[in-house]
Amino acid sequence: MGPQLQTFAADTANNDMFASLGIDWKMLIFQGVAFLIFVWIMAKWVMPPLLKVVDDRQKKIEEATKAAAEAEKKATESKDEVGALLKQARAEAIDIVETAKLEANAAVEAAEARASKRAETVLANAHDQIAKDVIAAKKALHNETLDLVALATEKVVGKTLTDKVDEKVITQAISEAQ
Amino acid sequence: MAKKLSRRLVAAYCADQLLAGNDDVIMQLAAFLLDTKRTRELELVARDIEDALQARGVVVADVASARQLSPAAQAVVTAFIKKSTAAKRVELRSDVDERLLGGLKLNLPGQELDSTILHRLTQLKANKV
Repeated sequence: MGPQLQTFAADTANNDMFASLGIDWKMLIFQGVAFLIFVWIMAKWVMPPLLKVVDDRQKKIEEATKAAAEAEKKATESKDEVGALLKQARAEAIDIVETAKLEANAAVEAAEARASKRAETVLANAHDQIAKDVIAAKKALHNETLDLVALATEKVVGKTLTDKVDEKVITQAISEAQ
Repeated sequence: MAKKLSRRLVAAYCADQLLAGNDDVIMQLAAFLLDTKRTRELELVARDIEDALQARGVVVADVASARQLSPAAQAVVTAFIKKSTAAKRVELRSDVDERLLGGLKLNLPGQELDSTILHRLTQLKANKV
């Protein structure tokens, strides 16, 4: 048997059960009182601020969660609104495009009608002007012909008319006068 | 103061004297117009004398042509004048104007016949539009 066993056997024999288990009950009481004091101190001065911090933190987290939920809800609502707005905007855009197409077609048709009418007017004016020019040219030609005929007659008759022909002209003129 | 003789009276006197063969009446008329300072009426008096002669069956006609009228042409013209004016006698005062080109221009008291080529050409030019 070793020395340790010998000591154990001796203590068991001399002391009670606590001692045999290595517990000093005095020290145990002291430590219990100290622990209670420690707990009291913790409950009195340390725990409230910590609990308050925890509570605040939890409250903030809950508020943040709530805000996030609300934000998500709002985002969802906004998304729906955006979708509705986009749908409405698309519909309006389609209407606008259709209206613009109709107006453009109407404008094109009106422009074509105006252009056609203007072209007809220009054509009619051109025809009128051509007719006037033709009449003026005919008049000018007529007048120039008269001048040329008169001039040629003067030149030719003055040199070629014989006495006999002149007498015949006179006789015919007298006959016509009678 | 002598009474002022009317132009018609003077013309009638001159016409009678001319028909009677007194050609000196022309000189007397000239002297009368000078004396009475009525030379401005010479043209009118001459016309009145022609009218007076026409009333007495004598027509004085001015004939203008580009060439001298032949006797045949003169006969035609005289016959025409006698027929159109019922004159017993016709006196022709001929004038040659080469600018007329051809035909004749006949001036009678109160009427005119222009059948010259120049006149016809002028009418032709007047037809311009």
